[in-house]
Amino acid sequence: MTRSPSSGPAEPAEFDVRAFARSAHGSLRDDLDLEAVAAAPLAPDVVAVLDTLAVLEGATMAHLRNVLVTNTHKDARVTAFLVTWAFEKFWIADALRAIVDASAGAGAGPGVGAEGRGSPPRTGTAAPGAAASAGRGPVRRAFAGITQGWAVVGAHMTVGLVDDRALGAAYARVAESSTSAALDAAVGRIVAVKGRHARFFDEEARRRLTTSPRAARLARRELRRTAWPLGGAALTAEQRAGFSRFAFGGPEGHARAADLERGIAALPGMDARTAAIVRRGLAGRSAA
Amino acid sequence: MAFDIDRYTATSVGVRWDDLDLEDFRAHPLPERSLRTLRYMADVEYHTVCYTRDLLTTPSHREPDVSAFMTMWNREEFWHGEALAAVLAMHDITVDYDVLRASRLKLGWKDRLDPIKQSVLGSLVGADFVAVHMSWGAANEWSAITAYQRMAELEEHPVLAELLRRIAKQEARHVAFYTSQARERLAASTKAQKVTRFALSRFWAPVGSSINSTDDVRHVMTHLMSGTEGRRAARKVDESISGMPGLEGLTIVQDALEELGVPA
Repeated sequence: MTRSPSSGPAEPAEFDVRAFARSAHGSLRDDLDLEAVAAAPLAPDVVAVLDTLAVLEGATMAHLRNVLVTNTHKDARVTAFLVTWAFEKFWIADALRAIVDASAGAGAGPGVGAEGRGSPPRTGTAAPGAAASAGRGPVRRAFAGITQGWAVVGAHMTVGLVDDRALGAAYARVAESSTSAALDAAVGRIVAVKGRHARFFDEEARRRLTTSPRAARLARRELRRTAWPLGGAALTAEQRAGFSRFAFGGPEGHARAADLERGIAALPGMDARTAAIVRRGLAGRSAA
Repeated sequence: MAFDIDRYTATSVGVRWDDLDLEDFRAHPLPERSLRTLRYMADVEYHTVCYTRDLLTTPSHREPDVSAFMTMWNREEFWHGEALAAVLAMHDITVDYDVLRASRLKLGWKDRLDPIKQSVLGSLVGADFVAVHMSWGAANEWSAITAYQRMAELEEHPVLAELLRRIAKQEARHVAFYTSQARERLAASTKAQKVTRFALSRFWAPVGSSINSTDDVRHVMTHLMSGTEGRRAARKVDESISGMPGLEGLTIVQDALEELGVPA
C-alpha cells in the first residue's frame, strides 16, 4: 500500500488522547503507605530495582530529545500524548523514589532526604549527567528523520510499546517477590497508571505497522539498535546488570523474557530476529 | 532567589476554565481581529513541545531541575492551548490535532533543520549555549505575559480576562524559572553573556514568528503592542531582559516592533 508522505495511518484511532490528558495522574504520594514500608524495609534487590526503575521512568526528556527531532513532533495527537505521558512518568519516578527512601529509612540510602517531594529522578552515580539516550544523538536522528517521513512515528510508537512491556516485566517481578501489602498497593497503582500508556502505544504501533511496511522496517531497525531499556545510559553498569538479573534472571525471568520476545515477534511486521535481539539487549548482552 | 523546582512541580496543574461561563462568548463574541490574535496565541502554546525539542538538543537536558521543569512546563502550555482553543470553539473556530498537524506540516525545511542547527551550535559553544536558551525562554515568557495582559485590557471581556489572568499567572512561574537559570548562567560566564547578547540582538523575533506568517506576526504585534500603552508594555519587557547580566541596553522587543512597522 502506498501512502503519500503527508498522510498518517488509515485506520481511525480509538484511544482518546484528550480524555487521557484531562485525567492525567499527578503525584501518587497520597496513595503510598510509606510508614508501612519504613516499618518493614524491603529486600535489598527489590530496593535496588525500584531505584533503577525510578531513573528509567524519569528519563522521558532524553527520549523526547530523540523522537521530537523527527516527524513525530509534527503529529499533534502523538505529542499531546507524550506531554501527558512524561508528566505521569515523572510522578511514577517520584513515587518509586519515595518508596526507596522510606525503605532505607530517614537519613540513609542514596540521596535520602537530599531531594524533596517534586525532585526529578536521580541518575546513576557512575555516569553523573550522562545522557539517558545512548548512541545516536539528535543530529544523526534529525538527518535520518528527514528521509524517514511519517513512518518513523510508527517506529517510535513500537519502541515505546516494547520499553513499556520491558518495564512491565520488572514490575511483575517486584509484585511476585513482594511480601509487603504497601508495596503491592503501590505497584498496583503504578501499573494501573502505566496501563493507559501501554494501550496508546499498542494501538498506535499496531495501526501504523499494519498500514505501513516502511514503518515496520524502520521499527525493526530501531528495535535492534536501541540500547534497552530506554534511559539505561543514565544507569551505572551495576544498575543495568541488576535490572536485567532481577527482571529476566532465573526460570521465571527467562519465562518473562520469552513472553516479551514472543510478543514483539507477534507485532505486525516484526520478526523473530528482531525480537531475539531485543531480548538479548534486555538481558544485558549487546544488541546487533 | 533560586527557583524552587520542588514547589513548582508539586503545584503544577493544567489551567482550569470549566468554571468559567464560556457560553457568554455566544452572546458577546470577540471581534475578528481578537480571534486572529487568540488563534496565534493558541498555536504558540500548542507548539511548546516543538520549542522543547530545541532546548533538549543542548546539554541542559541532563540537568534534573531543567528536565523536571520542562516536563511540567510542556503540560501547562499544552493546557493553555486547550483553553484558548475552547474560547475559539465558542466562535466556531476549530483548533484540533488535525489542524495543528497541518500547521506543523507547513513549516517545511527550516523546522526540520532547526534541531540540527541548535545541536551543532550547542556543540560549538559548549555549556554556555544553555544560557542562550534560558535567556531566550525568559524573553519569550515575559512577552507572553505581557501579551495576555494587554489582550485582557484591550478586550474588557470579563470571562476572557479571567482566563488570561489564570494563564498569565502560570506564565509568571515560567519566567521565574527561565530568569533564575539565565541570571545564574550569565553571571558565571562572560562568554555566555557575549554569545547570548549576540544571539538575542541578531536573531530574536517575537514568539510565534517561526510558526506564523509575517502578516500574522505583524497583526498580533500591532493589536497588542502599538500605541502609547503597547509601546510602554514592550519597553517594560525590554527593561526586564536588559536587566540580566551582560544584556544591558538590549531593546530587542522594541527593535522587532520597528522592523515590523508597528505604529508607536
